[in-house]
Amino acid sequence: MAEKAILYDATRCTACRGCQVACKQWNENDEIIPDVENGVQAVNRGSYENPPDLSPQTWLKIEFREVERSGKVAWLFNRRACMHCTDASCVKVCPTGALYHHELGFVAYNKDLCSGCGYCADFCPFNVPRSDRNLWTGVAKMDKCTFCTTPGLDRIAQGWEPACVKTCPTDALIYGDRDELVAVGRERVSALKAKGYSNAYLYGDTELGGLHVMYVLDDSPEVYGLPVAPQVPAAAIAWKDVIQPIGWGVGGLAILGLGINYLIAREAKLTRELPGKKEE
Amino acid sequence: MEQEVERYRKPTRILHWVNSGAFIILFFTGLILFIPPLGFLAQDSVTRILHRICAVIIVVGPLIYLLTNWKASWKGLKEAFVWGKDDLEWLKAAPRYYFLCDEEAMPPQDHMNTGQKLWWFMVIVLGVVIVVSGVIMWAFKSTAPAALLQWSVFAHDVAFIAIGAMFFVHVYLSVIHPLMRPLRTGAWSSMARGKVSAEYAKAHHGKWYDRVSKGMKESPSAD
Repeated sequence: MAEKAILYDATRCTACRGCQVACKQWNENDEIIPDVENGVQAVNRGSYENPPDLSPQTWLKIEFREVERSGKVAWLFNRRACMHCTDASCVKVCPTGALYHHELGFVAYNKDLCSGCGYCADFCPFNVPRSDRNLWTGVAKMDKCTFCTTPGLDRIAQGWEPACVKTCPTDALIYGDRDELVAVGRERVSALKAKGYSNAYLYGDTELGGLHVMYVLDDSPEVYGLPVAPQVPAAAIAWKDVIQPIGWGVGGLAILGLGINYLIAREAKLTRELPGKKEE
Repeated sequence: MEQEVERYRKPTRILHWVNSGAFIILFFTGLILFIPPLGFLAQDSVTRILHRICAVIIVVGPLIYLLTNWKASWKGLKEAFVWGKDDLEWLKAAPRYYFLCDEEAMPPQDHMNTGQKLWWFMVIVLGVVIVVSGVIMWAFKSTAPAALLQWSVFAHDVAFIAIGAMFFVHVYLSVIHPLMRPLRTGAWSSMARGKVSAEYAKAHHGKWYDRVSKGMKESPSAD
């Protein structure tokens, strides 16, 4: 099946944050209103950006950035959510199989299986997974964007586009076959370059084996707060591809070796005991 | 006739068995994470809570022992780090001993033989690695830099593999190996009852037995 993806065009985004709202509404993620009554004091952070960060209840948020461009202020918007990597570190390190690749390429999530270990958060190059963790017991459940494939709330299986895409009024978000979106993205980037945005870039085309959320940017990724050339952390490879197979080898050899030793030593002991019983 | 020597005092034996219980639970609740099809067992953090309870036991137990038995602890810790020529000889002779039950070449051993020292040494060193990396993952999950958390997972795993494999060896050489049968002699009885026969002590821990039988003034139970 052809892989699907979302294409986010930062140059078309007006930061209306309809996608944030649609995401919350569809996925039934309530947010408490910052209010003294709710035990949360609203804080003025000098930005329209809200809420301050991703959370177990906020899987998608639009970031606001003010940067200087040839003496003028440019107000840049960026979509922050799971990138649905092809080489997904979280899938690699998830010990229970709660995180897995959907047949259409995204990183889907079976929340029931989550043990709360938090390795996905530790290893995510984009710092996306979130959980409310009890410090003492370590009890936690991770949450992140599931590309609208949460069981019971699966829009993709219905043949619908994700909630964020559906609601986007400017078509800054579009959904479709990944190959087609790559072509669209490249076209838009060359158009931007022709207009003089020499650093324009299609983020996610090749990063981490290809992301399933791609970004049309009119500047380099770091200006938008995106990691340049993100990688699966070396520790994930050393752990999962080197140490863990070695672990099985060591464990297996130890048990096998002890078994062989037992058979040989038992023979030897019996032979020794034959003439005169010399017990040890 | 049935003269016996004390090998491990009661506090030492209690510590050993409490820690073994905790270790086994820690081992299996950790092993689950190696086997994705068993992941459902870890669902809803159940095994992780168990892992943490046992982690506390396996850390607090030795600390209490250390504080209440500091003299024996110090002596015991030294045992793991003092190595000599006889240890090399022991390692050379060990294969013949363990495979062919040939005791001739075994050099006289102190309170702990080289194999026991090796295990004890690994328990101390890998124990520290596991505890430090575990504390980082437990208490600093939301504050430590990602790279530190990542390499803590790695270190925890490496130490787990090494100590887990050695754990099998330890159990095997203590109670399963043909030379350790029947159980009432040797290793098992030293940790179960705390005593071994003088005969056994002479044959397996000659240096230690000489010391103990000569000057009973010196505490017979190093630890």
